[in-house]
Amino acid sequence: MIRRLLSLGTLILTATLAVFFSVTVANAQGPLSESQREEIRTNCTTIKNDISQLQASDALLRVNRGQVYESIRSSLMETFNTRLSNNNLDTRGLSVVTNRYGAALDDFRTNYQTYERQLTAALRIDCTEDPDGFHFAVENARTERATLNRTVARLHQVMDDYRNAVGDFRTNFARVAGEDS
Amino acid sequence: MEDPLAGLRPDRDESTPVGFWAEHRFLLLIMMTLVISFMLVCVSLYMYTASGAIQLDLSRPGYQSVSNQVERESPITGFSASGSVTLETIDEFIELYDTQSEKAQAVDAYNGDPLNPELLEFND
Repeated sequence: MIRRLLSLGTLILTATLAVFFSVTVANAQGPLSESQREEIRTNCTTIKNDISQLQASDALLRVNRGQVYESIRSSLMETFNTRLSNNNLDTRGLSVVTNRYGAALDDFRTNYQTYERQLTAALRIDCTEDPDGFHFAVENARTERATLNRTVARLHQVMDDYRNAVGDFRTNFARVAGEDS
Repeated sequence: MEDPLAGLRPDRDESTPVGFWAEHRFLLLIMMTLVISFMLVCVSLYMYTASGAIQLDLSRPGYQSVSNQVERESPITGFSASGSVTLETIDEFIELYDTQSEKAQAVDAYNGDPLNPELLEFND
């Protein structure tokens, strides 16, 4: 009992320290130097134009990629699963991967929304008046963009997993069909 | 001249007091219509924003430059949910899937680091 309490206490302490240090690290990025503030103030219009262009091209990417990812689920994965189901074949393995793909697709949508909102929030800040606020808003958008990229990588991974699952299904199907014939 | 429709009009008891809104029913109708329209507009705008549809709307100001680059055609066709399952149909599906998967994965979306402060803000 005492051991359990001790291990629980250690776990809580570790988690607290982890949170503390992560906050410290985030703050350690630190305030901007005066020269950096001046650079942001001077280039404010150019920086905002660059961000606006990035926002437009990322929105286009969201629309086009979103369509492709959605089609792969609805026109391929779900269609194939339905066809197997209609033929009373076991689709549990494929359905699990399809559900994982759906979850990753939901994350893609959510992460993009968060990223876009953060970018819009950054653009609303007057960088000549508040270079620090602007800088940290852009940093947050940068973090969200990296998260979005990781989600895209996860989507691609699940796409490969589905392909492997179909390969396994084919192997089993060929074996069973060979036994039947 | 005598009113030819007099017999069709309901008799109105002039001695009965009529309320303010009963007297101004048309005004009330217009006001209620405006209030309900305003409420519906608020609800639809909320849904437009909260659902994320706003972020897919490339007709917004600032997005016209890219709106003509949207891929409008349905990219995947050719596999039906009905029909028998044979090794040939599975192979057909695999071929189609590989082609589409390769296309989808050809673009590593949102890669790079264009928001890096060293590139974006402090590049002088």
